[in-house]
Amino acid sequence: MNRWLTRRWPALHWPSVRGRGRADAGPLLLTATVIAAVALLAGAAPVLLRAAADKAVQDTVRRAGNDSNVLVRANWERDDGPTGGRVRMPSLAEDLDNFRARATSALGPDLDAALLPPLAAVNGPILTITDGSVPRTFQFTYLAGDLGGPDVTWVAGSPPGPAVSDEYVETPYDGPPWPVQVGLSEVDAAALDLGPGDRIPVRDGQGRDKDVRVSGIYRPTDSADPAWRLAPALLRPVPGADGVGTTRFAGLLSRESLPDARLAVDEDQLRRAVHFAPVPDALTWDGTAALASQVVKLKATSGSSGDREQSLKWESQLDIALRDARARNNAASTQAAVLLAGVLTATVLVLLLAADLLVRRRTPVLSAARQRGAALPDLGAELIIESTVVSLSAAAVGLALARAAAPGVSWTWAVPVVLAGALAGPAFGTLAAARASRDRRQPANPAARRWIRATGQLRRAAVEAAVLIAAVAAFVTLHQRGLLPVASDSATGELTGDLILPVSALALGALVGALVLLRLLPLGARFALRQALRSRRPLAVFSAAQAATTAGRALPLLVLVSTTALASFALILGATATRGVTDGAWSTVGADARLDVGADAEAATPALAERIAAAPGVEQVVVAQVTDSARVFTESTLLTPRLVIVDTAAFRRLLATTPLPDAPALARLTAPGPGPGEVPALVRSSDGDLRTGTRLQLPREDAPAIRLAAVGTAPSVGGVNNVVIVDAAALADAGLPAVPNTVWVTGPGAERAVSNTGVASDVVLRADVLRAQRVAPLTAGLVRLAWTAAGVLLALGLLGLALAAAAGASQRWQTLTRLRTLGLRPRDARWVAAGELLPPVVVTAVYGPLLGALLARLTLGPLDLRLLTGQAADPAAVLPWWLLGLVSVALLATAAAVVPVESALRRRDRLSEVLRAGE
Amino acid sequence: MSSQPLLSVRGVHRRFRTGPTVVHALNGVSFDVAAGSMVALVGRSGSGKTTLLNVIGGLDRPDAGTVHVDGTDVTALDEDGLSRLRREKVSYVFQSFGLIPVLSAAENVAAPLRMARVAPAERERRVELLLELIGLADHARQRPAELSGGQQQRVAIARALAASPQLLLADEPTGQLDAETGLSVMALLRGIVESEGVTVLVSTHDAVMMALADRVIRIHDGQLDEQAVGQPYAPVPDAG
Repeated sequence: MNRWLTRRWPALHWPSVRGRGRADAGPLLLTATVIAAVALLAGAAPVLLRAAADKAVQDTVRRAGNDSNVLVRANWERDDGPTGGRVRMPSLAEDLDNFRARATSALGPDLDAALLPPLAAVNGPILTITDGSVPRTFQFTYLAGDLGGPDVTWVAGSPPGPAVSDEYVETPYDGPPWPVQVGLSEVDAAALDLGPGDRIPVRDGQGRDKDVRVSGIYRPTDSADPAWRLAPALLRPVPGADGVGTTRFAGLLSRESLPDARLAVDEDQLRRAVHFAPVPDALTWDGTAALASQVVKLKATSGSSGDREQSLKWESQLDIALRDARARNNAASTQAAVLLAGVLTATVLVLLLAADLLVRRRTPVLSAARQRGAALPDLGAELIIESTVVSLSAAAVGLALARAAAPGVSWTWAVPVVLAGALAGPAFGTLAAARASRDRRQPANPAARRWIRATGQLRRAAVEAAVLIAAVAAFVTLHQRGLLPVASDSATGELTGDLILPVSALALGALVGALVLLRLLPLGARFALRQALRSRRPLAVFSAAQAATTAGRALPLLVLVSTTALASFALILGATATRGVTDGAWSTVGADARLDVGADAEAATPALAERIAAAPGVEQVVVAQVTDSARVFTESTLLTPRLVIVDTAAFRRLLATTPLPDAPALARLTAPGPGPGEVPALVRSSDGDLRTGTRLQLPREDAPAIRLAAVGTAPSVGGVNNVVIVDAAALADAGLPAVPNTVWVTGPGAERAVSNTGVASDVVLRADVLRAQRVAPLTAGLVRLAWTAAGVLLALGLLGLALAAAAGASQRWQTLTRLRTLGLRPRDARWVAAGELLPPVVVTAVYGPLLGALLARLTLGPLDLRLLTGQAADPAAVLPWWLLGLVSVALLATAAAVVPVESALRRRDRLSEVLRAGE
Repeated sequence: MSSQPLLSVRGVHRRFRTGPTVVHALNGVSFDVAAGSMVALVGRSGSGKTTLLNVIGGLDRPDAGTVHVDGTDVTALDEDGLSRLRREKVSYVFQSFGLIPVLSAAENVAAPLRMARVAPAERERRVELLLELIGLADHARQRPAELSGGQQQRVAIARALAASPQLLLADEPTGQLDAETGLSVMALLRGIVESEGVTVLVSTHDAVMMALADRVIRIHDGQLDEQAVGQPYAPVPDAG
């Protein structure tokens, strides 16, 4: 206690602090620049990623379209009358309003805020227009929002009114068709050639005529009103909606005519639903977990219910869209974190090297100060004040720039850089000052010298073992647990405790790789020296001797190898993601264009395919029946894979002529099955439930199940991993003819050929998918970050090379000068300098990219890159050799430039000064 | 001792400018050194000893004056000529030894011979001889880090002698050694002068070391103390 009380505060000598700062302004500025640059990257990247996450959520929901709507259905109250007929319910529109209000109140505040005001839609059955012309269908629809339905202007006639004026009407079940009034859009009315008062000749599926009358013709006030999206036929005729060659028309019901619509069709044929469309711009990453959870809860409350039960039945794909967005963001966050950890590791190493250089420059000054009686704590305090000011100022500048460039700033990642910048210099400086006041003489006793060497080696081995153990633990964690499961719900690129070890795997791997080379390089240098000693060329001996002398310097090699390997990894990640997006588009679409034919038009698929095949520029057309979540039984389990029934020969040709992975096993599908009555199938599953040898059963209605035998591994189809592929002819032979619903088209004319087919179908173009994927916020953000990280790491590597050369320059030119006192010519001295500098750089130029490729192979899998590229499986690392070559060339060019520059700088120094400085 | 001086220094001036201040490190220094003698150059720190040695060895150029070594005007030589001079006639021993750490003692000694492209057999014979001379024949394969400070300086001396120079310049060769080891190193230099016939100019500020020299040249503020020039060598009985 007394000692603590009597301990004095460090006495700072401010003139010395200022003097050292002025004398070493260059290195200090360099350190500050590195800290500022990395703080900018580390401060902006997580925030930009978070912003990208918000955009990704919005983008995902936007792309999901109506699938992301929250939809709630409920049955109507029964309309059985007391005398055995059906009662007209005049308050049906109010019932619908109540239903809408009930649904809205069930949403909860979070979901309510993320969704547009509800829109109730009531749809009748699809009726056939019986005017004897081309196939046309008709449906009446009622739309009602909080403020009524979409606004229209009645250009002729009047809004639909009630069929009767009586309050209470009961009509027999088998009575004549109940009249109902509807309004027609101008376009529909013109196409049907009908006007107010006309009856629309329609008949239901059972062939019963319906009494639907036109009350008026309307013009929509705003045809872009989202309400119309629920029934586009209310605006204009929709071709192909109900089968090839058909056109759907629609009639608008009013509050008054809605009760008549109920009586005009069977009791259960008028369906009501309330639609809540999400507001993509209102969605943020933070809210996704709560929203998804709320949607799941609503769906869970639906349960099964009887036909007459009026409870709410919720349907939505919003939770799935949000879950997918979360998975993609978690993947992007961890991928970004891995890259940032690499950049930070390299930065810390460069800062250590810069501190080393600074202290080498300052050693004489610090030694002199120590010899004048300056206490170590005083010197340490002076140095730490200087480095803290430099580091904090630089970090503040970097973070301020990050704040200007991004919508926020994250300081977490900048902490290690600031700490390294603030502590490395003072630590090295204090050690140098301490050494200056120590007896530096070599012990005369050989045992003492051996002890010193052994102690140093043991210390180094302990550090290396610690790094190795940490790296092994990181890789084991990365591979056993992966990154996604340990990512927290709020993961947005900020480093959380459970992520530190697996996220550090890459950086630790690079360090271990560097340490391996650090062990091997001295051995190689000594071997080269032994060979050189056998030669008669003195320059070879001196070069090899110099190289062997410096081969064991840890920090420069750690910086060079780590930065080169990490830059190579970043380039590989960027290239893999870029290629993955292209492959993902192929995988998602399966061809240049894909047509997903609507269920009502499936029968026309073969004819459609023939028409497309005849179009100019079309190379291949393959039709298939693709059934998602098909029910397939193994011996003990029900599985729901994607069932693909396809002409395997055509499918093989498609795979062979596109970048899609080939599947030679498809040939086995046309061979006889392994057992009697078994149809061969190819299977693929992510969880291993489906594998070669598995026996499956494909159930049929009113017929025995078809037995399938898995004879090989199926390719992924449409980016889906749970797949069963069967040959169409083989299955037809077994009694199940295919009903194709998918058309894959390749060739330059594919896009034009699949447009305007006149069939209700979804057209998916590879070019569109690719374009969307390339600009997808997370994918684009990750690729940008990968290229940026590669550039920063390469710059750090080149800076490290220059710093390492500068740090060793004094010693190198001391030795060279001594050799010149033995008669070495100046030009020979340059060769010897090159002989010292180039070998580690040449080795690094080869080893670094290879190490980067190895690290990519070890870490890309757990990074779940496929979630961002849209591929079915984790992509194999793509090695951009020319980019990796550029990294090597940049290193070699810098090293080659260092020697003449250094030589030119040293030429100004007289030999006598160099020798004097070394004394 | 030959009557013709091996080293002749005439009117050498050397000034250094540090900012506005001009320091006259050497101010008209002139002296001769006969071949085969050992001369101690003494003076306080900053008196100009090292500058004088550097000018003599061609590591630095004087502002005025000439330096002749074995008849060669050192001040008129270009870089290649100076390199040749250092390879053939002048060699150095430094306070901090300056050995190449990854080379063994023998390989360090052989370095100048490699530079002079001496045949391997001749090189090995010469190295063996020199290591024998400095008493480290048993340490030929050891690296500098495995040798004591005194042993390292002996190796440095052997390396300096390897190419059979006529003039050996030693700048404070005992500065990093304890007194006893330093004395033994100086005794070695003394012995070499006698056995190899090399002329040695050694800077020191140790009185005991001075006693081993044939002559002592005192230098003070860049000028020679004429009274001290020519002081005879007085053997020290317990020196080695």
